[in-house]
Amino acid sequence: MARLLTLITSADDNVRDRSLDAECAGFSLAELLVEAEALDTFRRQSENLYHRVRALLFLYSLHRFQIPKLLAAQVSSDTPGAIPFRGYENLLQRRFEEAIDLFLKEQRENGPSDGLSSALSSTYQRLAFQTLADQVRRSVRSVKGNQWMFRMGHPADQPLRVRPELLEIDPSTGVYPILRERTPVRMDLTHCGWSDIFFLGMDYPEGAKVLNISIDLAVHGHDATPTPPVEASLRVIESPVLRLTSVDLGCTVEISNLNEVFDFAKDHLGLLKAAVIASGIVPPGIEGSGQELSDLLARVFGPGRGFELVSNVNNIPKGSRLAVSTNLLAALVSVCMRATSQARSLVGPLEENERRIVLARALLGEWIGGSGGGWQDSGGVWPGMKLICGTVAQEGDAEFGISRGRLMPTHRVLDRDDVPADSRQKLQDSLVLVHGGMAQNVGPILEMVTEKYLLRSGPEWIARQQTHAVLEKILAALHRGDIQAIGEATTHNFRQPIQQIIPWASNLYTETILEKISAEFGTDFWGFWMLGGMAGGGMGFIFAPHRKADGQARLQAIMTEAKQALGSALPFAMDPIVYDFAINERGTWADLLRGPDALMPAGYYSIIVPILLSKKRQELSALRQAELDHFAASCRNHPELNGMVQSLFDSMFPRGQAKASNREILHEFLDRYGFDRVTHEQIRSDLQSGRIGLAQNRLPANAVIEDIREGDITDATAPDSLPDRLREIGMAALQRGEVAVVTLAAGAGSRWTQGAGVVKALNPFCKLGGRHRSFVETHLAKSRKISQLAGTPLPHIFTTSYFSHGPTQSFLETYGNYGYEGPLFLSPGKSIGLRTVPTVRDLRFAWEEMPQQVLDIQQQKVRESVRSALIHWAQSVGEASDYTDNLTLQCLHPVGHWYEIPNLLRNGVLAQLLDERPQLQHLVLHNIDTVGMNVDPALLGHHIESQAGLSFEVITRRLEDRGGGLARVNGRLQLVEGLAMPREEDEFNLSYYNTNTCWIHLDSLLATFQLKRTDLKNPEKVAAAIRLLAAKMPTYITLKDVKKRWGHGQEDIFPVCQFEKLWVDMSTLASLTTRYLAVPRVRGQQLKDPAQLDGWLRDGSAAYLEGLCEW
Amino acid sequence: MKVHKAIITAAGKNQHTLPLQSLVAPDGISKSALAILLDEVTQAGIDEIAVVICPGDEAAFAEAAGIHARQVTFIEQTEALGYGHAVHCAADFTGDDPFLLMVCDHLYLSRVEKSCTAQLLETAARENCSVSAVQATHESKLPLYGTIGGRRIAGSDLLYQVETVIEKPTPTEAEQKLVIPGLRAGNYLCYFGIHVLTPEVMKTLGAQLAAGNRADLSLALCDIARREQYIAHELEGRRHDIGMRYGLLSAQLALGLAGKDRDEVLTHIVEVLAQSHA
Repeated sequence: MARLLTLITSADDNVRDRSLDAECAGFSLAELLVEAEALDTFRRQSENLYHRVRALLFLYSLHRFQIPKLLAAQVSSDTPGAIPFRGYENLLQRRFEEAIDLFLKEQRENGPSDGLSSALSSTYQRLAFQTLADQVRRSVRSVKGNQWMFRMGHPADQPLRVRPELLEIDPSTGVYPILRERTPVRMDLTHCGWSDIFFLGMDYPEGAKVLNISIDLAVHGHDATPTPPVEASLRVIESPVLRLTSVDLGCTVEISNLNEVFDFAKDHLGLLKAAVIASGIVPPGIEGSGQELSDLLARVFGPGRGFELVSNVNNIPKGSRLAVSTNLLAALVSVCMRATSQARSLVGPLEENERRIVLARALLGEWIGGSGGGWQDSGGVWPGMKLICGTVAQEGDAEFGISRGRLMPTHRVLDRDDVPADSRQKLQDSLVLVHGGMAQNVGPILEMVTEKYLLRSGPEWIARQQTHAVLEKILAALHRGDIQAIGEATTHNFRQPIQQIIPWASNLYTETILEKISAEFGTDFWGFWMLGGMAGGGMGFIFAPHRKADGQARLQAIMTEAKQALGSALPFAMDPIVYDFAINERGTWADLLRGPDALMPAGYYSIIVPILLSKKRQELSALRQAELDHFAASCRNHPELNGMVQSLFDSMFPRGQAKASNREILHEFLDRYGFDRVTHEQIRSDLQSGRIGLAQNRLPANAVIEDIREGDITDATAPDSLPDRLREIGMAALQRGEVAVVTLAAGAGSRWTQGAGVVKALNPFCKLGGRHRSFVETHLAKSRKISQLAGTPLPHIFTTSYFSHGPTQSFLETYGNYGYEGPLFLSPGKSIGLRTVPTVRDLRFAWEEMPQQVLDIQQQKVRESVRSALIHWAQSVGEASDYTDNLTLQCLHPVGHWYEIPNLLRNGVLAQLLDERPQLQHLVLHNIDTVGMNVDPALLGHHIESQAGLSFEVITRRLEDRGGGLARVNGRLQLVEGLAMPREEDEFNLSYYNTNTCWIHLDSLLATFQLKRTDLKNPEKVAAAIRLLAAKMPTYITLKDVKKRWGHGQEDIFPVCQFEKLWVDMSTLASLTTRYLAVPRVRGQQLKDPAQLDGWLRDGSAAYLEGLCEW
Repeated sequence: MKVHKAIITAAGKNQHTLPLQSLVAPDGISKSALAILLDEVTQAGIDEIAVVICPGDEAAFAEAAGIHARQVTFIEQTEALGYGHAVHCAADFTGDDPFLLMVCDHLYLSRVEKSCTAQLLETAARENCSVSAVQATHESKLPLYGTIGGRRIAGSDLLYQVETVIEKPTPTEAEQKLVIPGLRAGNYLCYFGIHVLTPEVMKTLGAQLAAGNRADLSLALCDIARREQYIAHELEGRRHDIGMRYGLLSAQLALGLAGKDRDEVLTHIVEVLAQSHA
């Protein structure tokens, strides 16, 4: 039997828990390929779900880490193998098995290659997670109590009936009673090492354990006392519709069409819709049945009736790591279940079996809504403190024989013997809960954790075992009321096992706060406690009780200060908050509000009353009139409705000042940064008429795109592939001070923070040399090392834009240029564009014509719903109209990196550098995220000796390297931008991908602009020269995602249109000699997405970078 | 367990006129729904029958009972305190004897030679315990019926050991507690409207009332299931709820099609169909 297979199939835990990485050491490439073949055969035959999934992840790991390492060490003169396009198409369509077969066939016929391995690793990984997700979905559906909802397809089959109490109109007020559910949120006192991920808990139930506490919250200094943070209200209405209102998100909708209930992204009410579905009132089985919603509602509530569901979150922002949205979903599900007799009690607490069904329904709701939390997240439904544990599947469970663990964990509520009342009080007297203000996508982390677990990655597996001991320590400390010991345990947990499993659990912001708190509070600071998956959101600080009040005050100040300092480097969604909290000992709880007490949350009326007042009284139903009268009367005698009149005025007559000033700032920016209104209007008109657009970016369909021929590039991929002579030439040029580095740092890195508007260059992306370092600091550290090697300081220029200039300048000042000894310049951008609303044609082209990764079924549905909403948005706002409905900086855009070098000519930075260094001959231009590049003397020597005007660096293509490459276009060698590819499949025939690192011979470049060095002092001549060359460069229309923030940490993402000119098109100029160098992947790869970081750290890229740096 | 007594409840708020409705029985004779029920009961060998009625209904019911009137004792439920209470109103009538319990708003049609009531009485006699007639019912009808949970008795296709009873469960609860292996998905065993019960049931109802609670038959039966042998019998027949929308019509059609006037009934149906499409 193949050796690696035994790690999956062995009955011995010790063998099964061996690390794959360690086991692979010593294998040759041929041996690894044999192992991979055996694993592939095994996973196709195995009946056992987790055997299959582990085999798939083993295969992913072999092709992602082990095989590429061995391939890179081989010297080969062959052109790297291509990735079959059909395989890629299958991958996008989620036809994983077909994709794998095609990639393996290619591997059999043409041998292994780095590109093929990238395609295989990606496909195996997707298939593994798809297999797991399918299993979770099956389990969610097969939980007893959920199944019937999938069978029900006709209103006549609807078996639920409203509780009669909810139909009793109060004679004094004329309104129906309101059923209100209030639910605490949950905190996980142990940070369970993400063991509450379903995939993990269902394979390793013994290791899935969390200490989960239900809590009430108040914003410190703002609210009087902690209250249950989420509430859901339900009321019968005399109209056959579903009326949904989210008070916290400020929106309301009346739904009369069944399909609309399943349209999750049409508005912001997806969570409420998911609850209505998961509670069985509109059961999932009826989706797409073509039936009438009114008929369905009539079965439950009576003919002509419907109901309204209202959600309210009290000042708790998104991303708090307190599972606010899952507990809100649970509250909504619970109130719907109570209203339809699916819980024994209409009011008060739930029984244990009812809580479990609420949990199952919340899981179902999350799955329906295309999101997903951990299995402990509905913990707020239970009272007080509880231990939630994974459970081994037994005979009779739906999971038995398929996975080791059950989907649903078990909850044991800790009693006063486990944790005495005194201990509970002490915990509340010491712990300060905060929200740091950052809200990040935790999805990639969950996949990383699952993957590392299933691979039993050595250090992470040991760390996972340590988290169990931490839990035991915390339980023991709680029992004896030793809060200081809890602080020690949670700090140890954060510093050791958690960061061992996921290094991204901490960031510069967290470390900054911790450093300051530790320095200020000394031994009175008992410990730090990390909540949830990503850094910068929910955190806990444990203080000696007599310092807790100080701690709250100082944390607010320190976090605010740190946010101000790092606001342009890290994606903050809101201002930091300090909470007051109290343990909630009763769990979710319902009340029936009747008569004078039948009032919705105050915020509800701010949304609804203006709508009602805009109608004539006679247009309102008797019930609505009664409600308005009841509300008006209540405003006079209900203290919680104090100030309602003022807030109604505010919402009916919003003040216009803020918007006006936003517009003024926008115009000021446009004027200051050289906005070209004439060009902008031309682009708009061209967009509207269809002369330009995504489809028009492409080269003509008859363009012949071919891969390179022999001799087109110099291969510098293998170590020492360039002769020493070139190294010496390069080193001599460095010593003479003939070279400068130009780092492109003008952009926001849309993918890096999903359009959060952060300066990517300043993002402290990774811990290197023992600290979190930004891209800017990292590039300077490499220049420092080269400067030291050459003995001459290397000038380093960062190009900036309207957006990145100020923050970059401020960072460099604050950190003293990171101690960089050489000349350091910022080259401010001289061009700016104003984003426009995309055309529907371009949106459809991007979403329908371009190959797209199809998502898992439910997520795909949600995505389609989002897209149709965005198309509606573009139509209603005006296609190609100016995009101004956001923060100013989010409305503007840099106009592409082609302009960065011309900017150097225009803004005087090059002239200044030449004054200081008249001997300057060469520039090396590179992207901010090409972290592995440096001013390598041998590559420089090659560039010099070849007498090229431009030398571009390329790397062999991997699956993820999308966006063009090196090609012969109609026989001519050049770089082709991905946007210009006439056919998607052409790109897959190209062996090399452009890194955008470009060595530039200065005088050749100036000659291309028809300039001489002396002309750089003549701004008019420079401007005219740039305009002339710019006219020859193609203009690309692109869509970028921008975030719009609103409410409490809420974010929407909009696609907006902008135009760009790109540096790669310089390779098309016949007047400039251009050469191409193939460099190692570690040098040329770019960090575009934070999800790449973990692999980048594990595959040796980070270590390679460290070797280039001198901190 | 030999049974001589029967209780028919007819005191429900919305059902006390239903037994008075006139239908054509399978033998072609027009009679009231009550009389058809009484036919079935007496033919199964029961000779003492109590009908629980609303105050003031006796005269109308006595007339509707037709030839069976002299076998029937009418008992008034003086307060509308629910079904369990109505049954308990006949406690003195049943005494320490087992009894057959039926509701007045259902008619039964057997698919075999023996009537539904006779099938049930036979099982009770053989098994010597309480037996309830049940019918596999789709979950959409759960809001209408008491439903049992249990398991099939080995060696029998139609008998089930009752383990729990829930009155009008939601499908959520039914799926968790009442699934019976062997039934089609989404189907549960719901009461058919005929029971043969031991005197213990009456005592349990009495105890509920004595404790100041509502008398709840389903709870009482659930209690019985825990304390003594209690069987459910999936009868070979159909029930027809004449209280439902078009219930009377569908019951009449079923009776007509099962009797000697089958051809005549079919002809009427075809005529109506033809005219409705004309």
